[in-house]
Amino acid sequence: MLHTEDLSVSYGAVQALKSMNLTVPRGEVTAVIGANGAGKSTLMRTLAGLVRPQTGQVLLDGVSITGKKPEDIVRMGVALVPEGRSTIPELSLEENLRLGGLWRDKAGRLESQQKVFDLFPILAERKNMRADTLSGGERQQLAIGRALMSDPRCLLLDEPSLGLAPLIVTQILELVSTLAKETNIAILLVEQNAVTALRVATTGVVLNLGEVVKSGPAQEISSDEELRHAYLGY
Amino acid sequence: MTNFVDYLLGGFSNGAVIALMALAIVLVWRSTRMVNFAQVGQAMFTTYVALTIQQSTGSWILALVVAMAAGLVLGIVVFFLVIRPVKNSDSTGAIIATFGVLIALQAGAGMIWGGDPQGFLTPVDNSGIEFAGRIWPISLYDVLVLVVTAALVIGLTLLFTKTNLGLSMRAAAFNPEVARLSGVRVNRMLITGWAIAGATGAVGGVLIAPVSTISPNSFDILLVFAFTAAVIGGLDSLIGAVTFGIGTGLVISLVSGYSDSGNAPIVALILLALNLLLKPDGVFGHHGARSV
Amino acid sequence: MKTLRSFPGNRIIWHAIIVGVVWLLLLLLNNNIDPLYSSYLALVAMYATAMFGMTILVGLSGQVSLGNGALMAVGGYVFALTSMNWQTVPFFGWEWNAIWSMVFAGLGGVLIGGIIGGLAARLKGPYLAGLTLGVAVGVPAITNRFPELLGGENGLMLTVPYPAGGYAAIDAGGEVATDEGGDAAVDIETDAGATGEDQQYAELDLSEFDQGTDPLAEEDLLTEDDLLTEDDLLTEDDLLTEDDLLTEDDLLTEEDLLTEEDFGAGGDLGIDENVVDPTEDPGVDGAGLDGTDIAGGGFIDGFDSEFIIERWQASMAIAVACIVAFAALNLVRGRQGRVWKAVRDDPVAAAVVGISPSGSKVSAFVVSSLFAALAGAVFAQILSFIGPGAFGLGLSLSLLVGIVLGGRASLLGAISGALLLVWLPELVDGLSGERGWPEQITNNAPNLLYGLLVVAVVLLAPGGITGTFKSWIDKAKGRGRATLS
Repeated sequence: MLHTEDLSVSYGAVQALKSMNLTVPRGEVTAVIGANGAGKSTLMRTLAGLVRPQTGQVLLDGVSITGKKPEDIVRMGVALVPEGRSTIPELSLEENLRLGGLWRDKAGRLESQQKVFDLFPILAERKNMRADTLSGGERQQLAIGRALMSDPRCLLLDEPSLGLAPLIVTQILELVSTLAKETNIAILLVEQNAVTALRVATTGVVLNLGEVVKSGPAQEISSDEELRHAYLGY
Repeated sequence: MTNFVDYLLGGFSNGAVIALMALAIVLVWRSTRMVNFAQVGQAMFTTYVALTIQQSTGSWILALVVAMAAGLVLGIVVFFLVIRPVKNSDSTGAIIATFGVLIALQAGAGMIWGGDPQGFLTPVDNSGIEFAGRIWPISLYDVLVLVVTAALVIGLTLLFTKTNLGLSMRAAAFNPEVARLSGVRVNRMLITGWAIAGATGAVGGVLIAPVSTISPNSFDILLVFAFTAAVIGGLDSLIGAVTFGIGTGLVISLVSGYSDSGNAPIVALILLALNLLLKPDGVFGHHGARSV
Repeated sequence: MKTLRSFPGNRIIWHAIIVGVVWLLLLLLNNNIDPLYSSYLALVAMYATAMFGMTILVGLSGQVSLGNGALMAVGGYVFALTSMNWQTVPFFGWEWNAIWSMVFAGLGGVLIGGIIGGLAARLKGPYLAGLTLGVAVGVPAITNRFPELLGGENGLMLTVPYPAGGYAAIDAGGEVATDEGGDAAVDIETDAGATGEDQQYAELDLSEFDQGTDPLAEEDLLTEDDLLTEDDLLTEDDLLTEDDLLTEDDLLTEEDLLTEEDFGAGGDLGIDENVVDPTEDPGVDGAGLDGTDIAGGGFIDGFDSEFIIERWQASMAIAVACIVAFAALNLVRGRQGRVWKAVRDDPVAAAVVGISPSGSKVSAFVVSSLFAALAGAVFAQILSFIGPGAFGLGLSLSLLVGIVLGGRASLLGAISGALLLVWLPELVDGLSGERGWPEQITNNAPNLLYGLLVVAVVLLAPGGITGTFKSWIDKAKGRGRATLS
């Protein structure tokens, strides 16, 4: 379980996150939704260690990971798939995957790789190709696969739907939802595409200007019309 | 035709050394996205260290090994003292800082070892090999140079393609953020890059010293050749650096053979300018436009 | 600076007044100091001229170039060649003088600088530095390519550039120049400076010779009678015979040796004070640099009762530096300066508001090339020499060192950098003289300091000397921290 307490982040004079309290339970998908500039990406980057919070804590199963370096946080079990299909095009598909868990022992790595290939069979087929020959959807699968190679307890997905066809988005998000249930990992999904995100999520969190304005069961949030008009713009 | 073949053959060992220096420049570029203009100065310095070892022990192998170790250490020292603190602040400053290191290293070497050119003994015979009834423009020493270079290049290739360290270094070079998010300790990879570059340059220095003599600025011209080769190769590409390093050596050998060795820098300059104009990303490069 | 802006009236006029006052003060200074210091002043003015260009190129436009030493060589060679070979201005037929040579030197710089700049504008950071590094290292090779025209490695020697005497040049003889080729690139400033002074001696001898000799009269011309005839050929009788060989009696005995008494009368040994031991570094003690030793003899109206070469060189260098400073001041503080900075800081944003980034880069290159070429012409006159050794990579690096230490983006930085380039080697020399350091240490100490200082300044005080001072002053005034620009 990933948990934040009073997490605040500011860039200079701009406060991007204000005293945020958030819980991401294991075995389910928690969706964070909100308009542009609501602080969604900042939240993800802070959880992964790319941004240092001014105050507050991030706890993973009760252990603080606050202020640690990203390379240590991923080793402790929180893996981020950043925005924009973050694969390394110069490396082969297999190398991209391997990169995700280099510090682990070989047996563990092979086991994770098998899991990834089971989840995304297309990756197994194209194992030896360079990552830049893949389609957008395949690259997103690869990016998620790379994060899974670290055998995470918590997976952070930043805008996985960006630039992908709706059908592929649905496919990927459904896989993600299955993944959470089957492997009992905590998944935090950040999306602008609220409808799709709330469909696969168990819990929804609405963010506005760095603050949580509402959190609750996903269905409840997607049916709250007032909320939708005010913060989600549809 | 015989002349042509002879000139060509004579260019290989020089080309190998240029390739090593170009490799060093590429290794640094891959790790920190900057050109280390002190690279060849570092090689000059470690070659003096090697010379001292050789003069006191008489062992060429020991000199080579010590030079590599010194190159490794010097690479790390320069990285920590200069590059890491300057890197993010301003890119102009980073370039200038490497020139500062070059100036200081040359002056330091002059202080310690004096400005007069010194000879460096070859471990094996450096006169043309006699074979099939004629003397060829390749000596046993040239063969040694090629063997050492080939061994180093193969070693580096295996390191980068087959090992986890190599994969981490490549990932850190291509996309530091994704590498960090994957658990790669990027800073260590940058240091490793600088260290390996330092050692590679050191080998190049020890190999060229017996042929060219050594003085604090005798390698300046080598810097130009190596930079040319590295840029034509695309700055990112190890294969490019080696290919065009040797290619530059051959071109220089031909130019020197048919005209005058003094013309070699002009030819290198023309090659560099043409390349930057016509194919600004280098022949093996795959990155975006250089101008922005 | 703020007060300046708040004055009414045209900014250019104020710039002219400032530069004019500084010019006058410098001339006054020049006429009242020891000629030794005048020779330093000349070097400072020369470096400052070149470094005003570096301020624009490196500081404002953000392009690290090592080509400016080579562009100084362009200016120097054009100056030497035009003053040697042309008696009138081609196509116009006006009488030639040194100012025309300066003009053509500047044009040469603009031309070559435009070519390199056109290439350079397409390149960023390390590529430009590498390309220009190649140019700097390639200078000797280029001069060797045209040995008849450019004198090859030996370079060309100018005779004393008297304002009245016109210019003549001869090919530099072997020793001086080989020395240049060998060493100059190792040391950055010391060598250029020291060789400069070496050259000065050579040139002084020539000048005295020149002055003593009137133009050849008709009688002096060789006639047919002067041709050697068959009778003049040596015959067998002229060969030395065994009798001519020296015998043991001819050997000097102990009695022939000079005793201490023979040395009694100081100057009587015929050693002229002007003859300076070439192995001795003249810069250290200034022996022979004292103006009175130099029997110039030529009078120049309205300038000085006695012609002193160092003073003349300094006033010439100051004139060029002041004119260039005026131009630089107007460019830097005017619209063009803002354009350069805008492109340096954000080329995309600059392009959006209609500034051409490549145009801006080329213009910075051309302006700095012009200044470099003028400085090169001045340098050639100070050295009375132009050759690849003194204008190679070492000079380019020293310009970079100077501008970084002085302050990258400020004209005052260029001036303080120029002072530092001339002062530091002298300081080291002085210390070395006192402490008795070995030559190896003394020769390399300035460069070691330069290298370390450059790194330190880049890391700790990117504004250089002037930037640091400015931020101190600003702090004292309670304003914010000064940035690079």
